[in-house]
Amino acid sequence: MRGLLREWRLHALSICSLVVAFACLGAALLAVVNLDVLEQRWAHAGRASVYLKDNANQRDIEALHDALLQVPHIVGVRYVSSAEARVEFGQRELENHGELAGLPVDAFPSSLEIDIAQDLTDADLADIVAKMRELPSVDDVETYRTWTDRLAKLVRGGVMASALLTIVVLGAVFAVVGSTMRLALQRRRTEVEVLRLVGATDDFVRKPFVLEGTFEGGAGALGAVGLLAALFFLVRGHVDAELAGLVGIEPTFLPWFVALGMVALGAMLGAVAALLSVRTLGSV
Amino acid sequence: MPPMESPERLRPMLRAGGSRFSRDAASRPILVFEGVHKSYRRGCPVLRGMDLVIERGEFVFVTGPSGAGKSTLLRLLYRAEVVDDGRILFLGRDVAKLREDAIPFLRRNMGIVFQDFKLVTSWTVYENIAIVLEVLGLPPRLIRTRVAEVLDRVGLGGRGEDRAGILSGGEQQRVAIARAIVGEPALILADEPTGNLDPQLAVDILGLFGEIHETGATVLFATHDRTLLDVCSRRVVVLDGGRAMDVPEGVADEYDNRLPL
Repeated sequence: MRGLLREWRLHALSICSLVVAFACLGAALLAVVNLDVLEQRWAHAGRASVYLKDNANQRDIEALHDALLQVPHIVGVRYVSSAEARVEFGQRELENHGELAGLPVDAFPSSLEIDIAQDLTDADLADIVAKMRELPSVDDVETYRTWTDRLAKLVRGGVMASALLTIVVLGAVFAVVGSTMRLALQRRRTEVEVLRLVGATDDFVRKPFVLEGTFEGGAGALGAVGLLAALFFLVRGHVDAELAGLVGIEPTFLPWFVALGMVALGAMLGAVAALLSVRTLGSV
Repeated sequence: MPPMESPERLRPMLRAGGSRFSRDAASRPILVFEGVHKSYRRGCPVLRGMDLVIERGEFVFVTGPSGAGKSTLLRLLYRAEVVDDGRILFLGRDVAKLREDAIPFLRRNMGIVFQDFKLVTSWTVYENIAIVLEVLGLPPRLIRTRVAEVLDRVGLGGRGEDRAGILSGGEQQRVAIARAIVGEPALILADEPTGNLDPQLAVDILGLFGEIHETGATVLFATHDRTLLDVCSRRVVVLDGGRAMDVPEGVADEYDNRLPL
């Protein structure tokens, strides 16, 4: 640790660079984690909307309502009239789009909002939907699968982007730690020469550099986790209520094992980069 | 490298790290040069079939004009260079045949002092000396004790916390000598150790080597400084024309014309 303390400025600069690199990776992982939570939330939302035809009479609607309540795995059915649908829509959208206030009432179909049990399989749900579509008073059935499928694609895309970003970060760690170690080796040339003259093995000479590289990588990742945490908790107080209202989830930080994994990855990359950089010590 | 815990482990015979040195090496000369050839340029050999035997406990001056091969001889000994031909036997083992990973263990049996001191100036005096024992794996308490002892021996007692870079030339060379002897090596190599010092300091340093020799160490002292040869009566080996010639004690004057003033 003698070298680490004596050249702390050099190592501090490298650690700052690594904090930036790992912060980018951490931010991508944070996005993926929250998208995944969102996808999980909506995949098991257990909701469907049965849109009724304009000519559906009240008796048919009531019969359909009662029949649906008898279906296993359907835990609740709520009738939403056209007027109620317009009111619900208006509350959300008219604030931003005043021109929509001119839409007629019958532009908003009446519907039966169904709550579905979470243990209903996709196959059973598809079967129920197919049967409902055949009913004369039913115009369409929306299970929101398209939206959750898009969300799932978004999550998969985020995972792939994170994987690519990991490779970029890997390169950055190797470049930064490698350069720092080569510079340190050059500046401590006399020290290395003396060590070899007094009978130190190559492993003995390399060990401090590898330890310094490990520390740099680990500290860079840890610093990034700390920075992300600080920013996350700073911002969270301002947006969590809106997010909860909009999509039904509160933002979550990286799970502890992901944060720990990042630090371990940083330390490991730093060690390998240092080892590769000082593998040739020259001859004495 | 197994941890070194008992003083016996400091003995050079056991500091092999790999296969052991021969047990009857104590009765043999410590150093034998047989037909050693070394050249850096084709057609210009520095050492040309050099033969030399050095017994345990000897103090030998190796002298000669610039370019005679004094430093080359020492570098061949601690395997900074490899002979082109011939053998160099140290404690019965051919140095040239050692594998790369055995060279550190060879050097643990030697203490080397250089003209330019080769200290890490950003380290303290203590750190510069202790590194030898840290490499050997000694425990910290033993290291502290031994470093304090050698600092007293070289006249730098209490200076352990001083940074090496602020010391004078003579003091730095004393630290280098302390580093060379702290591991109690079998052989001390000195490559022009007084080259950067004034004449009085040079004599003082030579005196220090004399004291070290009296404890039983074998000393090989390379120098071109004729005046040092006159300070004390020692075996003198002259390198000339790539070969080594012994100058018997008491007849050094016959070779005055071969040595620079």
